[in-house]
Amino acid sequence: MDRLNPEIEKLLRAKEQRRTLLAALPFHEKVRAVVQMQQMAAPILRARGKQVRVWKLDPIPAAH
Amino acid sequence: MERTLQVLNKLERDGVLRRYAISGSMGATFYIEPLLTFDLDIIVLLLETQSELLTLAPLYEALRAKGYAEEGECVMIEGVPLPFLPAYNALLDEALRDAREMPYQATSTRVLRVEHLVAICLQTGRAKDRERVRILRDQATLDSAYLSGILHRHQLEGKWKEWTA
Repeated sequence: MDRLNPEIEKLLRAKEQRRTLLAALPFHEKVRAVVQMQQMAAPILRARGKQVRVWKLDPIPAAH
Repeated sequence: MERTLQVLNKLERDGVLRRYAISGSMGATFYIEPLLTFDLDIIVLLLETQSELLTLAPLYEALRAKGYAEEGECVMIEGVPLPFLPAYNALLDEALRDAREMPYQATSTRVLRVEHLVAICLQTGRAKDRERVRILRDQATLDSAYLSGILHRHQLEGKWKEWTA
């Protein structure tokens, strides 16, 4: 089997690490990430005729 | 989404539904990386009716009275579309019974245990469920003894072996 280019291996490892970091985020931050993904995906899906609605985010509590 | 969860908690306190928990992609997102979804899947244990028919009608009526309208198979609550799924079999009943209390900002909510999310994927059996099982195994911490019990009780051991071979 062909070995992956070391640069590509490094990129894939970094991607895997990022997924692990994302999995460890607090839930409310994950919800923000989901809404950001919705904002990115909605125009593409609507162009394909799919009706989708981006969620309303709760306001971020003011810092004290 | 916090206001959405507050509405669900109030419905439970008021006895409109007996128990609810977050399932589906958002349920999984509690344990793994965020997954793209446009719905907040909710499993509900409804009040018993004389006919023993599982009907969402009283829940929908209560939501309509609060100004939350149905849109297709969902109800839009505070800007979030919620498909409600009644607990229609033994696995969902058990999943709902054992669901965990979790905080979302200042609000408490309930989420299915990750082992039940895995079992529901196995039972549902679509290609996307198989992919979700892969991600849950990869990123979440599964209690293997607890999962084994679920798989045994609900005859899902064969599917688990097949999907994890």
